[in-house]
Amino acid sequence: MQTTASPSLTAVQQAASARTPGPIRPYGRYLYLALNIAILIFLLAPIAIVVVFALNPTPFIQFPPVGVSLRWFEKFFASRDFMHALGFSLEVAVLTTLSATVLGASAALALARGNLPGTRLIVATMLSPLMLPAILTGLALFQTYVLLDVGRPTWGLVAGHTLVTLPYVVRTTLAVLHNFDTRLEEAAQNLGASPVRTFFEVTLPLIKPGVLAGAIFAFIVSFDQFPVSLFLVSPGNETLPVTLFNYLKFDLDGTIGAASVVSIVLAFVVVIGLDRTVGLRSYVKL
Amino acid sequence: MMKALGSSRLSRRRFLTASASLGIGTIAAPYVARADDPTLRITGWGGKWGEIMKAEIGPAFESEFKCKLQTDSAFPYLPKLQASSRSAPIYDVLHTNSNEQWAAAEMGLVEPKIDPKLVPNLADVYPYAVSDKIVGVSIFTSAIGLGMRTDKGYGNVTSWKELWDTKYNGMRGGYVIPVNSLGQAFLMMCGTLFGKGQTDLDAAYTALEKLKPIKIVDFTGAMEKMLLSGEVGLCVIHDSGIYRYDGQNQPTDFVAPSEGVLSLEQVLTITPGSKMKELANAYVNYMLRPEVQKRLAETVWYSPANRRVKLDAKYDAKLLTTPEKVSKLIQVDWKWYNERKDEIDQRVNRIFRA
Repeated sequence: MQTTASPSLTAVQQAASARTPGPIRPYGRYLYLALNIAILIFLLAPIAIVVVFALNPTPFIQFPPVGVSLRWFEKFFASRDFMHALGFSLEVAVLTTLSATVLGASAALALARGNLPGTRLIVATMLSPLMLPAILTGLALFQTYVLLDVGRPTWGLVAGHTLVTLPYVVRTTLAVLHNFDTRLEEAAQNLGASPVRTFFEVTLPLIKPGVLAGAIFAFIVSFDQFPVSLFLVSPGNETLPVTLFNYLKFDLDGTIGAASVVSIVLAFVVVIGLDRTVGLRSYVKL
Repeated sequence: MMKALGSSRLSRRRFLTASASLGIGTIAAPYVARADDPTLRITGWGGKWGEIMKAEIGPAFESEFKCKLQTDSAFPYLPKLQASSRSAPIYDVLHTNSNEQWAAAEMGLVEPKIDPKLVPNLADVYPYAVSDKIVGVSIFTSAIGLGMRTDKGYGNVTSWKELWDTKYNGMRGGYVIPVNSLGQAFLMMCGTLFGKGQTDLDAAYTALEKLKPIKIVDFTGAMEKMLLSGEVGLCVIHDSGIYRYDGQNQPTDFVAPSEGVLSLEQVLTITPGSKMKELANAYVNYMLRPEVQKRLAETVWYSPANRRVKLDAKYDAKLLTTPEKVSKLIQVDWKWYNERKDEIDQRVNRIFRA
């Protein structure tokens, strides 16, 4: 564009001309905007369909919807099974988040700092649960518990969820540790801080974005976890996804949609809660 | 930074304390609540069946037999039973459909027959419930036939073969055969309708090819909704999937084809390694009691296996409650089917993928 500028233009005018969008630029921006809108629609369409299904009074998916009704939400909240499953899913997700976060962050620290032999192999092993079909992980754990004669305890379910959520915490914490300036820890220790104090007041705040990102992933993956839970839930203690699956085999009505909307809202609430208590802004830096 | 750190530390501590308390409570609760009563571990359906079992039938059994009934309603039952020890199986009584029961029996996971001396109510069941096509005992059955919309002007449907009529193109419904019992039973029916019998697979495959275009679903519940919404006009379905909407003014009806209806049995079996054999037999006997059968039949629209059951007129008119009606039931040879399941799955997947 600059090469075609009139020779009578001053340097300032030329520079201004260079900054001014040409005829192609607005077109490119519109294309960029359209692409982003298309991606948003792609991401949000399933949620929109679920919301429509949940609010539609007919007992089947109908488009266009014939009205707006809260009958499926009433049915969902009135169901003891669903309420129990929702509460149990939340409990398991919280416990899983805690265990996966503590174990995953510790493992990542050891891998980044421990000068361990075969670090790459260990990292690959820790990420391997993501590569194995989760249903097989569930079946294998179920068989292990049966062999150990421990039944299907809640801690077994939490352990199963921890196994599949651990890689997220390890990966996100390792990412932060990769750019970690160890001189900050050395400075703290030179100023008299003990290793424990250094960890809690220097290391942990600095790796918090990665740990928190992993924790959020862990919570969401655990809360929505189906294949692993399928084999590990015990009678009377089913998680929400398992309860939904069993329900839809017999009753495919809007209650499923209502339950999904509640799950989505809860996931948002938890993320906002984490933001308020731990600080999500540091996570966003990632 | 120190201020922010201080405040977040306080919140974190509270958060961790609350979570730890919650965790300990969650993990300890089952052990604290564990009763001394013997526990009978069974499987069972969800939906209306699960509701009434949990609310009425189960508690009444617990109270009468001074035991705890632990019902697993989370599928899949068979892999769980398979993965558990034969000497200490995860279930005492397996309740599932006949095809899965046959697979379990072939693997030695369930006892092939129920002892009539230990289950006296077995003497009162219709012959189909303990026939050579059944492992254990069928406590209920549904009739698999055709479900149709009554508001589409289709006229009077009387035969299975009408499903192949081109006027239903795009409006007929079936199942993903590898995962659905109704679909599997229907495949066998195709062999009977167009070939030499249930085992004439070539005739069945040819018939399935001609059934396209067809809308197929995994679950029966999904088919019910497609019929209710008018997405399909004629489909393979079991009677309870239609009758359960009785009184809701839905434009749907069940057709029992003249060639006969296929049976979809609810079967109970006992696991050989169960440590609760006496209680397991008592449970099977209890489920065959006329009053239990009546209550369940009138709740979920299943036809009772006990011929002494007297249903209210509304149910009696539609369900299979007389020897004449029961004689129209066609039972599937699931043993034969299961032995060829892999081959059948591959073939039907090819048919419907295309």
